[in-house]
Amino acid sequence: MTTSVQTHQHPLVELWNYRHLLVSLTVRELRIRYKQSMLGIGWAICVPLSMMLIFTFVFTRAVDVVAAMKIDIPYALFAYTGLVPWAFFAAGMTSAVNSLVNNRSLVTKVYFPREVLPMSAIGSAFIDFLVASVVLIGLIAYFHVFTEWQFAPTPAMLFLPIVVGVQIMFMTGLALMLSMANLFYRDVRQVFTVVLQLWMFATNVVYPLKPDDSLIGRVVSLNPMTPIIGAYRDCVVYGRLPETGPFLYAVLVSVALLAFGWTCFQHASYKFAERI
Amino acid sequence: MANGCIELQNVSKSFRKGAAHDTLRDLIGSGFRRLTGRARPSDESAFAALHDVTFDTKPGEAVGLIGANGAGKSTALKLISRIMRPDSGVISTRGRLTALIEIGAGFHGDLTGRENIYMNASVLGMRKPEIDAKLDAIVAFSGVEAFLDTPVKRYSSGMQARLGFSVAAHVDPDVLLVDEVLSVGDVLFRQRCVDHMRRLVDNGTSLLFVTHHLEQMQAFCSRAVVLDHGRLVYDGNTTDAVARYIAALKNDEPSKSFDASKQAARVTGMVFRDGTNSETLTTHAHDALDVDVHFQLQRDTPDLVVEVDVRRDVGSRLANFSSIRDGVTFQAQAGLGHATLRLPALPLLGGQYFFRAILRDPNSGQMIADSDYRYSLFVEDNDKGTGILCLPHSWQAMSVEPETARPPRKQEALAGSGT
Repeated sequence: MTTSVQTHQHPLVELWNYRHLLVSLTVRELRIRYKQSMLGIGWAICVPLSMMLIFTFVFTRAVDVVAAMKIDIPYALFAYTGLVPWAFFAAGMTSAVNSLVNNRSLVTKVYFPREVLPMSAIGSAFIDFLVASVVLIGLIAYFHVFTEWQFAPTPAMLFLPIVVGVQIMFMTGLALMLSMANLFYRDVRQVFTVVLQLWMFATNVVYPLKPDDSLIGRVVSLNPMTPIIGAYRDCVVYGRLPETGPFLYAVLVSVALLAFGWTCFQHASYKFAERI
Repeated sequence: MANGCIELQNVSKSFRKGAAHDTLRDLIGSGFRRLTGRARPSDESAFAALHDVTFDTKPGEAVGLIGANGAGKSTALKLISRIMRPDSGVISTRGRLTALIEIGAGFHGDLTGRENIYMNASVLGMRKPEIDAKLDAIVAFSGVEAFLDTPVKRYSSGMQARLGFSVAAHVDPDVLLVDEVLSVGDVLFRQRCVDHMRRLVDNGTSLLFVTHHLEQMQAFCSRAVVLDHGRLVYDGNTTDAVARYIAALKNDEPSKSFDASKQAARVTGMVFRDGTNSETLTTHAHDALDVDVHFQLQRDTPDLVVEVDVRRDVGSRLANFSSIRDGVTFQAQAGLGHATLRLPALPLLGGQYFFRAILRDPNSGQMIADSDYRYSLFVEDNDKGTGILCLPHSWQAMSVEPETARPPRKQEALAGSGT
């Protein structure tokens, strides 16, 4: 079933007209994910929290490498501020890559702007991200009270929405391209699963990253997720603005990727129904 | 007042038959073949789903779209609703368009009826305030009030379909495309859907209706478009459209190969001959008509019984001519033969008629060959009478004013052209 007003609107205008569908699909994804589950949306907290506990245990008890990392904040805080945005990235991208293919019946039977599908996948991961972020407040309070680490609120906190915005732009650009690629070639999701694992270790999620001048170091330093996750820590835990150079690089990459992904998607989307 | 319309101009669309690359390995493989010059010709696998199709619909008009499976009906709807784009030609629509290609798009079994109403309605382009306002009407129409907070996976398929149709019915479209979805629900619900669509059309909605249910289509649409292998073969009144559609079906039927080991006989053809004894496919009302039934027999069949059935459109049988009932059987020998049915004056009005021949074994009464309604004959009549039968008749005038002196004048008129 389709509804559309067929005076060819600008894609952005049309997307705005379908904003209710974007909300509905996001809510649908969340509802489906947490239906018939006792913990429900609590899983959005439990997953990054247990990851944090695992990494804290492994890095401080099993093999004590935290000291070598030269982290000047409690490791649990360091890990959690990396794991929450990373979980947003990983979960959002994994479901976005499959979003067009998994909604085959919508794509072949209904007209609507197709970018709504990958965007709603990111949207539902974003809700999980917001829920998981609430725990961070408790974590900060705990370390503020029980350790010598002190939390000092600064105006840098106000920069946080910009960091979130940059991450969403980066994810949307990438999701548009990968969901489309996966529609034409189903290999993409397999490759992406592997790449995602590797990507996490090439990002400063559970340890700081200081790329050297070797070839691998240069490749790793191109990763825009590192300045983004670094920016979260800077704003929330360190109370300072992110370092300008790397963060500006991440902004440029995100904007360019979004513009490129969007354009490709618009040019190919009319083929989706017959190629899916 | 809705004010929608659809216009298709020289629209063509072709598909590849399956050479699309689904995995990277295929892509690399075909790229390699291309490099080594062993690429397969690319147009070999293309087939035209629609070829140069032009038609339009007007506000407040219900148009049927009919054709055999694979004629291009669904492709046409998908192009009009912008799910796909034509290779060439122009499609324009005016107004809010709703396409009922699938009932309950976006439904998820784990969500409740209420949640699915919101989901489905927003897939159809409705906004939340609009859905809020119409929720009660949607629920009342669907008749699933009692199960509104039950997950849809516990609904019967009929209930799901009713809920889906109810949502779609409340979009208030200017252009409505309906693809074979009215077969859902019970008789009462179907009637409610048809009434609802009728109301929309009366209010100016332009309706394009794809169906195989020809009688429903005829009752509902004043005009129909017939597609055959992607080409528009007829655009006009529904009765003639149905005739063209059925004629297209017949021509399409592959001549079944005759398996001599399994079949004792078959009908090989039917020839119509008019009053001048020449073969024809059209004739006139009241003309004489000979119907030759040609057949092939495996063995000698004494007392072969031949029957001919006649019907119009998809309606019920108009006539059955059975040779044995008329006391006639044929002494048929193995091989080819034929029997002729002679009708001195065809009592049919204008239109397309379909003929079927049956061969029976007289002893068992069993049917040994059946041609189905494969043969068609067009009857022309000049006085454009409506109906089916053209019976000999006359009128008599009654005396008009008994008190005048004039003698009553007797008037007699014979109807029809050929009597």
